[in-house]
Amino acid sequence: MPKLSLMFDNKIVKEVPVGSRPVTIGRSPDNDILVDNLAVSNYHAKIYYEAGRMVIEDLASLNGTFVNDLRVERATLHDGDNIHIGKHKIKVDTSGDAPLAWDTGRKTAAPRINETMVLDTKERRQMLQQAAAMGESMQFAGARMKVPTLIVLGGKTDQKEYVLTNKLTVIGKSVMATVKLKGWFKPQMAAQINQRDDGFYLGPGDKVPTVNGNPVSGPVRLNDGDLVEVSGVRLNFIFRE
Amino acid sequence: MRIASGGVTDLGRVRSNNEDSYKIVEPLNLYVLSDGMGGEAHGEIASAMAVETVVQHCIDLEANPAAAVIGAVQPNWSSFTKRLSTAVHLANRNIFKSAEENPDQHGMGATLTAVWINGTKLSVAHIGDSRAYLLRGGTLLQLTRDHSLVAEQVRRGILTSAEAEESDMQSVLLRALGAQAEIEVDAEEHTLFPRDVLLLCSDGLTRMVTEPEIAGTLQVESDLTRAAESLVAMANERGGPDNITVVIVRLEKESKGWFSWLRRGARKNPGSNGRVGGN
Repeated sequence: MPKLSLMFDNKIVKEVPVGSRPVTIGRSPDNDILVDNLAVSNYHAKIYYEAGRMVIEDLASLNGTFVNDLRVERATLHDGDNIHIGKHKIKVDTSGDAPLAWDTGRKTAAPRINETMVLDTKERRQMLQQAAAMGESMQFAGARMKVPTLIVLGGKTDQKEYVLTNKLTVIGKSVMATVKLKGWFKPQMAAQINQRDDGFYLGPGDKVPTVNGNPVSGPVRLNDGDLVEVSGVRLNFIFRE
Repeated sequence: MRIASGGVTDLGRVRSNNEDSYKIVEPLNLYVLSDGMGGEAHGEIASAMAVETVVQHCIDLEANPAAAVIGAVQPNWSSFTKRLSTAVHLANRNIFKSAEENPDQHGMGATLTAVWINGTKLSVAHIGDSRAYLLRGGTLLQLTRDHSLVAEQVRRGILTSAEAEESDMQSVLLRALGAQAEIEVDAEEHTLFPRDVLLLCSDGLTRMVTEPEIAGTLQVESDLTRAAESLVAMANERGGPDNITVVIVRLEKESKGWFSWLRRGARKNPGSNGRVGGN
C-alpha cells in the first residue's frame, strides 16, 4: 500500500499509509501526521488519491508546502518525491495498489510539470541561494570593471576609439552606426558586434569581417586583443581595466 | 522606414484552450505578445488583460503625455520606452488586482514581451519567458532574457544550455505579471536598420524549434504571415505541446530617388507581405 514516511534527521519518525481517506498534516492534534513545530500551520496540507494519482494540497498554510523544493498549492506526487513542511521531510512511496478513489468533487489535478508557474520572491531567493553560492565566484570574476573597447588601428572612422556601451553595435557608413566608416562605397552596415550573456560576438553585415585574419560568416566571440578587419578598417578589440 | 508585419497564434496539438494573446497596432508600430497561465480560463484572461493594458497605455501617450511613469527607468530613455515600461507595470497591477478581487483567479499570471518602433528607435519591454529576437545580417540575436529558473541557472553557470533543455523545471518562472503587487520589468532601447527583422514568440515555439531554424525560415520566406505559419507548423509537427504565437516585423528601406521604380520592379511586390505600416 502507498505510504508516507515522516523523516527527521534522515530517520523515519512515522509511517502513515495513504488509503481511500485523505491524510492530513499539521500542528493540530487531530491530524494524521502531527508535526509539532511553530513553522507548521494547524491544518497545513492534505494528501489523498484522486483519479489514481496521489495528490498533495496545501491548505493555505503560512509557510508553504514544498515538493522537491518547489512550493506547491496542489501537485501530483510521484514515487520518491520529497515533501518539505517546516523542517520536516516526508518521503513519498507510491508502490502498491492505489486505493479506490476518494471523491473530492473537484476536477482532476493536472500534471503540474507542464504548467507554467511562478515562484514568489521568497522561494526565488531560497531556490537561487544554492545557485548563487555556486555561481558567485564566476559572477565576480566576470563583473570586474572591464570595459569592452574598439581601438582604431587603421582606416577612416569618425573616432579613434569606441567604448562598447550598447548591446548592439554596428560598424558602417550609416548615420545610425556606432563605428562610422568614412569614404566612398563603404557599406551602410559592414559588420556588427552584439553583446550576449557570455560575451561580445562579431558577425557579418553586408561584408564578411575577419578576426585575426579568419573570415567570420557567423557570430564569433571576441577575445581580449583580437584584431578585427572590415571594409578597409582595422580595429583592436580589448577589455580595458 | 517602411514596416511590414504578420502574426499567427495557434492552439498547438495538446492544449484545449489558447492562453496566448497578441496584438499588432499598425498605426503605432506597436507589437505586444503575452502567454497566460492559471487554471480554467484564467490564463486567457490574464494574457488578454496584459496585452490590452499595454496597448491602451501606449495609445494614450498622445492624448495624455504626462501620465506618471511607474517603475525604474533610465533618464536617457525616450518617452516611448518609458511609456512602454510603465504600461507593463500597469498590466501587472491590473492582473494582480483582478486575482485579489476574484479568488477563483488566484494564481493567474502572464508573460509579456512588447516592441515599439518609433522612427529608427526600438523600445523593448519584457517579463517572463516569451522572447524577442532580432535578425540582422543573417545573425539571430535574442534581445530579451528569459526570466525562468533554468535560464538563470545557465547564466550562473550551474547548468549548460543542453541540460536546461532537458530540465523538467523549464516551466518555473522567476518573474511574471500577476505574481506580485510590484514587479521588475526589463526594458531597453536599440537603433534599427533597414532589413532588420524582429520576431516575438511564446515559449511554445522556442521549446520546439531551434534558433537556426527560426533564422533560416525568416531568411527564406519573404511573406511574413507565411513565415509565422511555417514556424507554427514546425512546432506542431514536433508535438505542439503548448500554444504557439509568432509575430514578425520587418523594416524595409523606403524607396526614394529617381531610380526607385527600378528597385520596385526588382523586388517581389513588397506590399503583399502581410500587414504594412510605416513611419
